[in-house]
Amino acid sequence: MKHVIVGNGIAGVHAAEAIRAIDENAQITMIGDETLLYSRPMISYVLDGSQSHKKLPIRSERFYEDLQIVPLLGNRASRVDVVQRHVAFADGTQVAYDRLLIATGADPRPLKAEGMHLGNIFYLRTENHVKQLVAALDDGFRHALVLGGGLVGFKAAYGLLKRGLSVTMLIGSGYPLSMQVDKTAGRMILDELLEHGLNVEVGVNVSAFEGNGTVRQAVTDAGRRLPCEIVVIGKGVIPARSIIPRRRIDVDLGVLVDGHLQTCEPGVFAAGDVAEMVDIARGVRWVNAIWPEAAAQGRVAGFNMAGRPVVYPGSLSRNVMRVFTLDVLTVGIANPPEKAPFRIVQRGGPSFGYYRRLVFKGDKLVGAVLINRIEQGGVLRSLIENRVPIRLPQEALLAPGFNFIQLLP
Amino acid sequence: MLDQNKELTVTQDGSRLYEKAKMDGIETVWERHEAQQPQCGFCDMGLSCRICIMGPCRVDPFGEGPQAGVCGADADIIVARNLCRMVAAGAASHSDHGRDLVEVLAGVADGTAIGYQIRDEEKLKRVAQEYGLAIDGKSTLGLAGELAQAMMEDYGMRQKAIKLVSRAPEKRRAIWEKFNLTPRGIDRETSEMMHRTHMGVDNNWQTLLLQAMRNALSDGWGGSMIATEVSDILFGVPTPRPTTVNAGVLKKDQVNIVVHGHNPVVSEMVSKACLTEDLVALAKKKGAEGINLVGVCCTGNELLMRRGIAMAGNHLMTELILSTGAVDMMIVDYQCIMPSVGKVAGCYHTKMISTSDKAQFPHMEHKEFHPDNAEQKAVEVVREAVENFANRGDVLVPVAPQKAVGGFSVETIIGALGGTPEPLVEAIKAGKIRGAVGIVGCNNPKIKHDYGHVTLTRKLIENDILVVDTGCVSVANAKAGFKLPEAADMAGPGLQEICNALGIPPVLHMGSCVDNVRILVLVSALANALGVDISDLPVAGSAPEWYSEKAVTIGTYFVASGVTTHLGPMPPITGSMNVVSLLTDGLKDVVGATFAVQPDPEKAAHFLRQTIEEKRKALGLDVRTVG
Amino acid sequence: MKQVVVHPERCVGCMQCMLACATSHSKSLSLFAATRETPQPKPRIHVGAGRFNEGFPNRCRHCDPAPCQSACLAGAIYRRANTGTVLINPDRCINCASCAMACPYGVIRFHEDPLGPAGHSIAVKCDNCSSRVANGLIPACVETCKSGALTYEEMDAAMRRKNRAVARSMSLDAASSAMPTGVALLKTVRQSELQLQTSALRSQGGDNA
Repeated sequence: MKHVIVGNGIAGVHAAEAIRAIDENAQITMIGDETLLYSRPMISYVLDGSQSHKKLPIRSERFYEDLQIVPLLGNRASRVDVVQRHVAFADGTQVAYDRLLIATGADPRPLKAEGMHLGNIFYLRTENHVKQLVAALDDGFRHALVLGGGLVGFKAAYGLLKRGLSVTMLIGSGYPLSMQVDKTAGRMILDELLEHGLNVEVGVNVSAFEGNGTVRQAVTDAGRRLPCEIVVIGKGVIPARSIIPRRRIDVDLGVLVDGHLQTCEPGVFAAGDVAEMVDIARGVRWVNAIWPEAAAQGRVAGFNMAGRPVVYPGSLSRNVMRVFTLDVLTVGIANPPEKAPFRIVQRGGPSFGYYRRLVFKGDKLVGAVLINRIEQGGVLRSLIENRVPIRLPQEALLAPGFNFIQLLP
Repeated sequence: MLDQNKELTVTQDGSRLYEKAKMDGIETVWERHEAQQPQCGFCDMGLSCRICIMGPCRVDPFGEGPQAGVCGADADIIVARNLCRMVAAGAASHSDHGRDLVEVLAGVADGTAIGYQIRDEEKLKRVAQEYGLAIDGKSTLGLAGELAQAMMEDYGMRQKAIKLVSRAPEKRRAIWEKFNLTPRGIDRETSEMMHRTHMGVDNNWQTLLLQAMRNALSDGWGGSMIATEVSDILFGVPTPRPTTVNAGVLKKDQVNIVVHGHNPVVSEMVSKACLTEDLVALAKKKGAEGINLVGVCCTGNELLMRRGIAMAGNHLMTELILSTGAVDMMIVDYQCIMPSVGKVAGCYHTKMISTSDKAQFPHMEHKEFHPDNAEQKAVEVVREAVENFANRGDVLVPVAPQKAVGGFSVETIIGALGGTPEPLVEAIKAGKIRGAVGIVGCNNPKIKHDYGHVTLTRKLIENDILVVDTGCVSVANAKAGFKLPEAADMAGPGLQEICNALGIPPVLHMGSCVDNVRILVLVSALANALGVDISDLPVAGSAPEWYSEKAVTIGTYFVASGVTTHLGPMPPITGSMNVVSLLTDGLKDVVGATFAVQPDPEKAAHFLRQTIEEKRKALGLDVRTVG
Repeated sequence: MKQVVVHPERCVGCMQCMLACATSHSKSLSLFAATRETPQPKPRIHVGAGRFNEGFPNRCRHCDPAPCQSACLAGAIYRRANTGTVLINPDRCINCASCAMACPYGVIRFHEDPLGPAGHSIAVKCDNCSSRVANGLIPACVETCKSGALTYEEMDAAMRRKNRAVARSMSLDAASSAMPTGVALLKTVRQSELQLQTSALRSQGGDNA
């Protein structure tokens, strides 16, 4: 059985390991444009200075050899031919497959602005990006501009702040991480950053960059000039779908897959940031481009490719981070429609030192926002993921010391 | 904090003040109780022992781990010893309370107890006669001095029996003699109980429990009884007076002083000081309409019984009333004062004063009261309270006060009956009143605050059972409106008739926890009137929400006196089914009464009604089926 | 291979397992001295309260597959093949808490540990007392539990015991009840107390307005 995995992020790596665990005779080929096997989320830790670049790799250099995988690294595949059942490269090379996994990940959404060619304007997605960004910091720059208040923008701003730069973050909503948290938590997080010197502007868009070789200022829609020597653009990611034949394989934002992570084309699977499937909390198809999803999906895809029909129940957005004195853990829906069947319970807030917000849909938990006391957040995530009907009074789950045994029958 | 859906109290003032306390960021007894969960099962079952340092030990109730302590004590012994020490501690507490009163009595006699006096000479003479003292030709103070000395003898080792045991019916005393339960000396029995529970002394779980009964009786017919009688002598026998209860007794426009604790030797002096002209004038100068003294817990009850002074709450309300912001000073002496109250007061302007050399607390100013300086110290602290009025912040008094009638001493009840217990006996014989239950004891966060008391009371009076109450229960029932003449409407037809005829409420407020002895005296009078033993009477006892060691002792002396007693929370005895069996069944053959445990007050009512009907049947009286 | 088996119905909530666990992961290995160490060792087993305030010893199940291992960003979580124990490498851990977000049982904590890198908080969880077992001892929590809530046995032995207990409880011989009378009695009283508190019943004739 010939397995071809396009992409060597964690989804691809876990898929390969899963296949090999089941089938010691399978042929596995892995295609990836990056040569290093590393933990992508860790680049934020490299940016903020708490971890060295050397800690990024999460598999040894002998990974391919030990698992008898044929690596084709350094180049992106250019297209997939589902009739001929092969993956093709720009130079004409073809790799035949019996089973194919699309685990190509996602790319930063490009910013439409003039002056993008100037130096020291970065996206923050790859270890290469962070290597260049950190190198640029060595030049003693003081002013950084971050576009976007989502996960990438936020982590970039935080990292640069910790490095001692003066940072201005341009966000669309009134508070950062508006997809993950509600207004109260957003306010607490924003205040934490403001207290540590962050400048924030809401609703400001950049139309151009100006500079002399390297960026010196950004120009807003309204014509204001914001001085900056480093720019990080965090305006979301787009699944890397270009190799997919759209007429044969359904693609929406991401590649559509079923409960076995299989696309509509038999034998072709997708997993990770490129894949789109039912979101457990939202109840509709969604792309949750986060590390733990890619990790879990890759493994299940690998099992299915190797002939073990494991069902994947759906994806679930979740995130955990430490922001100065705050620990923030989010799962599922933070901002539901404010009407039945949704119900929100919350406790704590800015002057309490902690915050907990739980979103229920009927008798099931569908979202959680925790600030501080996050150690048992996984219990709440598990309740959401497993769609457990909660028969206790909903407020009981707000107690920090809530013990999961109370949910047993 | 706690699960919002758990209602913590059935009272409105409790509920509203809890919300306020929460908003003010106060940690209450309920949060601390929650934080303790799960509470250790070894200890809860009475199976852990820390008596000696060969331990600490525990016995595995599941039979696999250790089945005996290091010394060899098995579950029966460990459970019995633990329970016995609770009785000893409870007896010691009440008896010390009595001791302090006897010292004041002696001090009145020799003139050193300044400001105290003999209020009821008749009672002094009656009690002195019970102590075998000749009363003719003696001055009041001389007699008082002699009585004090005689009572001190009751505390020692020179006697075969505590004097006031003579009040019990003959048949009851015979049972005590038979089983060696007659208490010999108040301190002696407690001391022997502590001795017996030392490692390697009494290792017979039955004799240990018998000594516990004797120890409890040394409190019930000894220390506590002396406390109540001497309090009546010094401060007056209670008579029915109108009063008010709940947090609404605190006044926005007056200086509010709350007394908390137990001994009237302190609260009476404070009460006196609050009436001092120049202090009232000072209050008015400070912008207050006057000085408003109220009480919580037993010392509050002492003032309510004798003077009609209002009460702001019971045990679980003591932290919450501070959150009104209206308390300018809380003065405490001893027992049932949670060490947290000083901290709670720190969130408000309230000054906290401790007064007893035996009882100091965190975050309180200590101003020791002794018989020779109490009067003057009381004036000092009240003045401080008046000065503190100016420091008030926001005040929230969330309810209007509830009216009630208290002051039902035995003398009063007999008086209301026309001078003898006959009318009550007749009413019981005729079946209009099926019987009586004394509901006593504390609050406990394990039981929804006051729910046990109020529910049980209502169920009993609905079924024509007269209720008498003391302690935290008496406050709960007063708050619930049971202590107005109109409350007779809530009673069943028979009880209603009697209450209307006599002009009494269906629930009689009999006082503080030492005043439980008034119930002993009452049932003795009834038993003597019928020529039977206490255990033959259609009466029972109940402590639906107890928490303290004193409650264990009280329950034990009630049972040892022949009154079957229900408990809401379970005492730490489930580690030995032998002990459970003896206490809930076997004691019937010893003292004619037992304990029963049932946290649900509706089910408890059922049990108590059944008990009463069974007693009626045995007396040849008419019986109702309890559905 | 023996494992720690949890019998929740036996837990009395005494929390001795927590003390023993923390002590066995201290430098001094004595309870009193351990409480005075800096940093203080912390338990990896957590006794919480169930719905009726019964005790429940919550420890890492060393899941296979382990969600924490899958979610770990730094590749710091691994399984020791011979014992199946899931371990966290304190030197690789970056304290990101992804494992805690993944753990459905909430057994991971974050703090400075006596046996970890100085001055850094890291993820800490049960390690099956690997060093004790390597020295011929049994896990500390099991050793200290006196009510049989934690045992150290082969899983099939545990299953056999349970099967026999279930079979016996279904037999007509009523004398052998699963739970000792005193335990059942206390449990009934506790449940009754708690149910009364959470019931919607409100006694009429409460305080006046």
